[in-house]
Amino acid sequence: MRPFVFPLSQHIGAPSVPVVQPGDRVQRGQCIAEAGEGLGSPVYTSVSGTVLEVTDDAVIVRADDVQPKEYVPLTAQTPLDYIRQAGIVGLGGAGFPTYQKLAVPFLNGGVVIANASECEPVLTHNIKAIERDCRPMIRGLQLAMDLVHADKGVIAIKAIHGDAVRALQQAIAADDRLALHFLPNVYPVGEERAVVREVLGTLLDAGSLPSKAGAVIINVETLQRVAEAVDDKKPLIDKDVTVAGKLNGPEVQVFHDLPLGMAVNDVLEKAGGLGKEYGELIMGGPFMGRRTSLDAPIVKTTGGIIAAETFLPGPEKIGLLVCACGADEKRLREIAASMGSAVAGVAFCKQAHEVKPGVRKCDNPGHCPGQVQRVMTLKKEGAQALLISNCTDCTNTVMACAPQLHLPVYHCTDGALRAVHHKLIRRIKA
Amino acid sequence: MSITKDTLQKHLTDPAVFCCRRAKGTVIGADDLEDPTLFDDMVDAGLLTLSDDGLTIEEVLGSTLLQDVEALTPITKDVLDKVNAKSVPAEAPAEPVKASPAAPAAPTAAPSGTIHLKIDKLEGLSLDIPAGTILGAAGPLPAGPTEKTGEKKVIRKLIKKHIKITDVEISDKTAIEDGKIFIDGSIVEKAVKEDPLCVSMSLDVIYPDKRHVYTDTIMDVAPIATKVEGELGEGVTKVADGVVFMLTGVDEDGVQIHEFGSSEGFLDEKMYFGHPGCADEGDIIIRCHAVIKRLTGMTRPGPFAAHKCEDYIIQAVRNELKKYDGEVVREEVCEDLRRKGNPRVVLVKEIMGQGAMHDNVLCPNEPCSVMGGQKNVDLGNVPIVLTPNQVRDGSIHALTCIGPATKEMTRHYIREPLVEGLANDDELDLIGVVFVGSPQVNDEKLWVSDRLGSLLESLDIDGCIITTEGFGNNHIDFIQHIGQAGKRGIPVVGVSFCAYQGQLVVGNPYADAMVEENMDHGGFENDVAGCSCVTKEVAARAIQMLKNKMAGVPIAAAPKKWDNAVINANNKLLGLPETVLLDKGTLH
Repeated sequence: MRPFVFPLSQHIGAPSVPVVQPGDRVQRGQCIAEAGEGLGSPVYTSVSGTVLEVTDDAVIVRADDVQPKEYVPLTAQTPLDYIRQAGIVGLGGAGFPTYQKLAVPFLNGGVVIANASECEPVLTHNIKAIERDCRPMIRGLQLAMDLVHADKGVIAIKAIHGDAVRALQQAIAADDRLALHFLPNVYPVGEERAVVREVLGTLLDAGSLPSKAGAVIINVETLQRVAEAVDDKKPLIDKDVTVAGKLNGPEVQVFHDLPLGMAVNDVLEKAGGLGKEYGELIMGGPFMGRRTSLDAPIVKTTGGIIAAETFLPGPEKIGLLVCACGADEKRLREIAASMGSAVAGVAFCKQAHEVKPGVRKCDNPGHCPGQVQRVMTLKKEGAQALLISNCTDCTNTVMACAPQLHLPVYHCTDGALRAVHHKLIRRIKA
Repeated sequence: MSITKDTLQKHLTDPAVFCCRRAKGTVIGADDLEDPTLFDDMVDAGLLTLSDDGLTIEEVLGSTLLQDVEALTPITKDVLDKVNAKSVPAEAPAEPVKASPAAPAAPTAAPSGTIHLKIDKLEGLSLDIPAGTILGAAGPLPAGPTEKTGEKKVIRKLIKKHIKITDVEISDKTAIEDGKIFIDGSIVEKAVKEDPLCVSMSLDVIYPDKRHVYTDTIMDVAPIATKVEGELGEGVTKVADGVVFMLTGVDEDGVQIHEFGSSEGFLDEKMYFGHPGCADEGDIIIRCHAVIKRLTGMTRPGPFAAHKCEDYIIQAVRNELKKYDGEVVREEVCEDLRRKGNPRVVLVKEIMGQGAMHDNVLCPNEPCSVMGGQKNVDLGNVPIVLTPNQVRDGSIHALTCIGPATKEMTRHYIREPLVEGLANDDELDLIGVVFVGSPQVNDEKLWVSDRLGSLLESLDIDGCIITTEGFGNNHIDFIQHIGQAGKRGIPVVGVSFCAYQGQLVVGNPYADAMVEENMDHGGFENDVAGCSCVTKEVAARAIQMLKNKMAGVPIAAAPKKWDNAVINANNKLLGLPETVLLDKGTLH
């Protein structure tokens, strides 16, 4: 097994500050890096072992051969303290410190929304967790509601997840503050502002937070970890992860409580091993995931590891159409290079609003503003095909014009979806 | 994606396509092949071109590759050392298509095989009918074993007397004498007082042999029809035969009143003479040209002003027609009736309701008139049921100004081929005709569609045909409507212009029986008024498709792209004339 790597920057906010030295013995659940100044979040070792190295970026631990199930419990006074101490951040991918979301109570009313949309195709660990036992999530939701003085809790979930829905319906019956809200089965309905729009009917500006609409949105697993922190005094050391794609085992597998810091290589070994040919390794979902390597560790925001299908050969020159709801420009350039195509031009969906340099958010996620103009611009710039990262609705629009202009359309999710026989993101069909 | 052994077994006869680059010497196995369920998307996206000489999966398994082959390439025999035999014949021999019209005489004949019948869908569609079953008027629909069905019970009658008109003159009086209509030229001055947005109006007469004249955009074609007994839908109506009004319009700056393409130009090239909404070959056209206030062409009141003022003039002629006892060339008897025991069907016509000129006047005082009617936009576009007779008596005055070719003008509704076809079909029981507006905003579209769904459910029907005019925006609710019927288990057939330019952008599992209206060579909305609408042929195909669907005859999936040959194959099967496309230089 490769050493466990605990990066000091796993969330939005200041990097954590190491508190161990090389050679130190550490116990599972022991703090190895304290919260930095300003939106900080501490880091705990998920394994017992010996600290090998402390770099500017990470603490590296060699794990003992035999690992305890127990962990060093947290000590804190109030629920909010436990959540802060546990190092919990938004586990759906955003990595915003959860205690910060819960630190400011609503003055009158307010709603906490459990985001159970599991919007990315392929990823399924959140729904599986609800199906396994939805009580921890509901407990986490109730704790969060108490903290922010919310009078309502809503679980936003796609109606297609029948088993999970039934389990939730039973479980929430006892608490009349709680309700389910059904989401359509379309990407990117789980985007934070899309959830606010679907549940509350309020469309927030790209730069606004849900609090503006009187809401706090927290992902399913985050809520489970909140319950664990408060009730079990457990720091954030384990993570649920979907592993999928070109594996020697089943195509899609869910791992409950994988220790953080484990190398991608070892996670893939647990899943039966990597298949003999694949295109790239993706950490995260097909839309928003990043390329990763066998040595990289799973971190707090890791939701999936996908071994994608081999790349399709692209044309000599390809145009990139970048959407805020999928791969960014850098990621599309990376895919284009792997396809053997030079980038002829880059266009941005007109709704992909740059909220700060390099960070784009969609003005109205999942509602296409039209793409023809962008497609035509890219053609003019010499593109012989398009590589796009648009959401379902926008892709449908691109598909209505690009092929007619003799521009074949590639999508950033193709490799991941082909690897699991998932329908490709193209025209919306029944 | 390479496929699993299980997937492989299900797709043995599907095309074999490499998932990834494969080197010379590869012995082909499941790992090397792309999942056939992804082909549709890949072909759509232009990533994969399936070829006729491509082999099937069962033909290539275990073969060795003789050269390097790139990903997403169909495997052909020239790159392999051997090709396996096919395990099953690819197709059962097809029955000759010709067999169909004779079917009624010989129900016992041809129990084997199938008739391969192609019916147009969004982009064309084919269907297989077990040989020897009903086709067209060929045989009755399956009926209850003992019950006597289809007995005709007449609810009300409408008689349309078509009065012969042989000439029209703009003169100094308004009258009809000896088959000649006289219209007082100065009437335009009174007409424009009907609406302050109408600045001026002019009249002239265009004879059938003198149609090579310039015309501004054709807003509408309306017949001259008037009640002489009863309300709309019953009693007696007189219709002037051999003459129509044509409304054209511009604003004060000379801007054509239109939204999606206008039809100004030489009249003989800009109207599809003979189509239901248009003038017929021999019709005299009274052209009523309106000039409306600057910049009002794209508002609701502007175009309506033109219609209103024209209607003032037509009303003057209607009043004369009431009094005129000329030669009746044809007496048309229309009946609202029940045929109890026959399949209950409704026709749903989606009409434009986006506002501005996308609007219609419903149920006016006089046939095809404006006065006394309500606009569907003002009514919230909710579905409204009319009897077939009310429709055939001119209950709709169209204000639509969507693309020239796909809009249904006022004259269309008074002689709608689907209404005629369904009402006169003694195998069906036409319950009513539902008009539902197409609002602009998606939320409203869904809301209206929900209302339609409840209505269809409460009518307890066995089938329905849903039509729309135009394409694009309205296709969203059109498809939603089909879903509303479909999810209630109601067999549904959709009728629309789609072809190339109007390919559906949305879909649902119930939109599997679709009839194409296009008559443009390039598959585009062209600038010929009334070109691509519901015609007799479209109606015949749609009604047959509905019968097939209700009878449980499977409808095969459509080819991916619009192909007029599919439509003509169906025309031929039903004994209909060929659909000849009009070449207006539209390209793709």
